[in-house]
Amino acid sequence: MRCAAIGLLALAAGCATVVAAPPAPELPSAAPAVTAAPAVTAAPAVIAAPAVIAAPAVIAPTATRPAAPAKAAREAAKPAPAPTLDVAALKERLRSTSACGVFTKLALKNQMDDLLQQFRAQHQSGGASGVSALRQPYDMLVLKVLAVVQDGDPSLARMISGSREAIWGILVDPVKFNALA
Amino acid sequence: MSIHARASALLFAMAMLVAAPAPAAEDPALLKDLTAVLMLLGMPCGEVVSARRQADNDHIATCKDGSRYRVFVNAEGRAAAQKL
Repeated sequence: MRCAAIGLLALAAGCATVVAAPPAPELPSAAPAVTAAPAVTAAPAVIAAPAVIAAPAVIAPTATRPAAPAKAAREAAKPAPAPTLDVAALKERLRSTSACGVFTKLALKNQMDDLLQQFRAQHQSGGASGVSALRQPYDMLVLKVLAVVQDGDPSLARMISGSREAIWGILVDPVKFNALA
Repeated sequence: MSIHARASALLFAMAMLVAAPAPAAEDPALLKDLTAVLMLLGMPCGEVVSARRQADNDHIATCKDGSRYRVFVNAEGRAAAQKL
């Protein structure tokens, strides 16, 4: 009899934990506020441009050949060629990366779309100064993308990070921006 | 109570314990996805430790701090989160 009692006790304890474990389904009720993607930016299309990824530093031997460092210095002084921004490639990389899931990609896309909408509005109103006010939200969004991507896809993160200024250059230029859209 | 009856009761109890539903196996990728989307939406969560699917693109996420959110795609096609 004691065994049966112990067994039932154990059963009851087991059931208690089982019942407690799954959280109640709770469907959306009227009260709680729904936060839909505040979206800061949009179209992954905007984020492109591999190219700019930091080039490895050139270390020239100094002692033996004095002419070499001078040449290297002259090379370094030359303006770097303008990085080419491959928007389509970057867009495709963002779409296909496995570094983030569907919800994350959708939220990022929503935020990119919202930011692009703000740029569009600024360009249509003709206020060049207004566009510069979007630099902070732009930087914030780039940081968000980097935070999401950098662990799972470091090369994509480098690509985005290296393209940041080139993308900004497109966004603030009405002609380039309209060509992008 | 006979030995038989006692043994049966014990076996039954043990069987029920073993048969009790195990906690749902969590997909790490989904948990990571929900964690990231809550972060993007500015929801205080930290880390999603479990999730329950309600429908396609509709999950209840439980955070490490115990808070729970419904994460779903709303009618406008946007990723949305609702604190429960």
